[in-house]
Amino acid sequence: MNIAILAIPAALAVSAARRLALPRSAAAAGLPAPFDVLPSRPALRRVEALLLRARTAAHALTPAGAIAAAPLQPGLGLYASADAAWYEPRAAGWKERLARALRMRWPRRRAYLHRDSFGLLECAPVAAFVLDAQGHVLHANGHAARLFQYQHAELSGMPVDLLVPHLWSTIQREAPASRTAPVSHDAGPQPSQTAPPITRETRVKRRDGSDFPAQVALHAIQWQGAPATLGFVCDRTESYELKRDRQELAHLTRVSTLGELAGSLAHELNQPLTAILSNVQAAQRFIDHEPPDLAEVREILNDIVDDSCRASEVIRRIRAFVKKEELELVRLDIGTVLRDVMQLVHSDAIVRGVHLSLDIDEHLPPLRGDKVQLQQVILNLLVNAFDAVRDVEPFDRVVTAFAGRDRDGMIRVAVRDRGHGMTVDRLERIFKPFVTSKAQGLGLGLSISRSIVEMHRGRLWAEKNSDQGMTFYVTLPPWSEPETARRAS
Amino acid sequence: MERAGNGAARIMSDAQYEPVATVYVVDDEESVRRALTRLVRAAGYRVEAYGLAREFLQQVAAQRCAALHASRGPACVVLDVQMPELSGLELQRELDATLPAVFLTGHGDIAMTVGALKAGATDFLTKPVRDADLLHAIGQALARSAEAVRHQHELHELQSRLERLTPREREVMQLVVLGRLNKQVACELGTVEKTVKAHRARVMQKMEVSSLAELVRVADKVALVGAASKPSAQ
Repeated sequence: MNIAILAIPAALAVSAARRLALPRSAAAAGLPAPFDVLPSRPALRRVEALLLRARTAAHALTPAGAIAAAPLQPGLGLYASADAAWYEPRAAGWKERLARALRMRWPRRRAYLHRDSFGLLECAPVAAFVLDAQGHVLHANGHAARLFQYQHAELSGMPVDLLVPHLWSTIQREAPASRTAPVSHDAGPQPSQTAPPITRETRVKRRDGSDFPAQVALHAIQWQGAPATLGFVCDRTESYELKRDRQELAHLTRVSTLGELAGSLAHELNQPLTAILSNVQAAQRFIDHEPPDLAEVREILNDIVDDSCRASEVIRRIRAFVKKEELELVRLDIGTVLRDVMQLVHSDAIVRGVHLSLDIDEHLPPLRGDKVQLQQVILNLLVNAFDAVRDVEPFDRVVTAFAGRDRDGMIRVAVRDRGHGMTVDRLERIFKPFVTSKAQGLGLGLSISRSIVEMHRGRLWAEKNSDQGMTFYVTLPPWSEPETARRAS
Repeated sequence: MERAGNGAARIMSDAQYEPVATVYVVDDEESVRRALTRLVRAAGYRVEAYGLAREFLQQVAAQRCAALHASRGPACVVLDVQMPELSGLELQRELDATLPAVFLTGHGDIAMTVGALKAGATDFLTKPVRDADLLHAIGQALARSAEAVRHQHELHELQSRLERLTPREREVMQLVVLGRLNKQVACELGTVEKTVKAHRARVMQKMEVSSLAELVRVADKVALVGAASKPSAQ
């Protein structure tokens, strides 16, 4: 087989070849040398079409029957290349057919620049290198040199741990035996049939010592008869930043929600402070009594201790809520999450004259999630519900939160209000970003809440109550389900 | 502390009848309620605390209505503005002049303060409150309450004197305080001047006054009572 495929953006020749179900010998570092003229975009599209057809006709391009292509993923670009050395005489005319497909003239001279099969990786829009058995760089492509900011020549012989800290030492420690590819007599490099590629999300180092997030994929191969490792490095800065931006946005809306509650939180803090001040001043009087009323003073001191703890608990909760932290998926009890949020909105409900009640099924299974983010979702739903009942009669200012299990065994939280409700078309839009009915709202609360819930593999939606107002539902899978689901699939 | 203690003592001596000054503390937050109760008690007042505005209304207000006017001591309420169900401001509307309210609030805005003061709040204090401020406000509220109680007591007393008059004596009194001469009264009532004189003397005696001017003043007050007590009597 003489077609080499480099897939973009995955940019891993091996995975492209796998998608196309190419024989492994044609994939990865075993690729033949490139054209000196890269085909134009329409030409590539034609090759793509050709390969797509080849999916049904397994012998489309070569009589050797090497192509049994799988459907191409959308957005997967191709570099096609051929090498005369791999030409099989039986497949007479294939080169011409391919050239016709590409609408280009077959180069008369030998098409590749380097005899060395690694040369093809020069075309890859991804950093690639080959390591020897000791983890030293044998070859690196130009992209690798640019990515790590070294001169091309400097990379040869460099221990890979200088580029990807701890990489070699960890993989050697983890699986030294399986990393050795079976000895093959094929002269070209070849991925091992036994060892799956190792992929790592890690931070890699530039020459100046700065580092950035990257995905590193390692394949055990044979390189000129000796075991070696082919490595690809993808710069993940962008996806990392995207993820971080999303976290930032979640944090921003969290802080803004809390900002709306600032007044009532101040009240929440004010209560213990009031109690402490009055207690202390009462104690001063009791001590001045003749004789001093020490029993009373002792009782007062106990109360002061309790109130101080209460005040610091309020502060702790606020800080935990606005803290900017990495996502932390832990075992959680939804009841505790709900009750914590209730503490935050308790005063707000009183100030707004909202009757808030809570109904938690005490036998709920735990779930897996980030506590702060789930609190954020519930807080958002409650504050929205408070807003929804703002303009209704005082006896209708009722918000109820339930936690229970639904018929599918999912953990379900429902927040019900008796407000004016909303029209059906509005119901569709409220989960979109920047849609808000509040003067000060960012309009991000519900859209972020939904993405948080979906990240927890749950669902967030709203329904109109049959009588009055709205109910927002959140369903989340219980703790044990991810494991069983994974086993089942 | 001394000041407030004296204040309490002074009020007690001012009110000449059963002067038990009571401070009611109504706050839904238990720890605040306990602390305020202690502080007020330490200053020498009798304190009763309630966690719910409604509960306070049912027990205290009803109790004060049932009690004889004479046995009412001065009292005031220290009220939290923000309470679930029945807020402090709503509660205040149900209270009469003998039970002035001192408001406590976590965050009082101007509108709320004005509203409360218009509705008759003695004072509007922000939490956390210093003892001097709170006790001063309580002292003033109790003074107002004592005044209101004394006023009510006086009216009650005059009312009972008035009730001792016969219908005829009452008619005579009504005309006399309008400034009619005995002769005119006799003419209007279709009797003789001598009888009117006798009635008039008995009126002065029963109303415990020694001059016409005094009788006029009393009649004014009682008329107020009469006007005010009529709707409640029906």
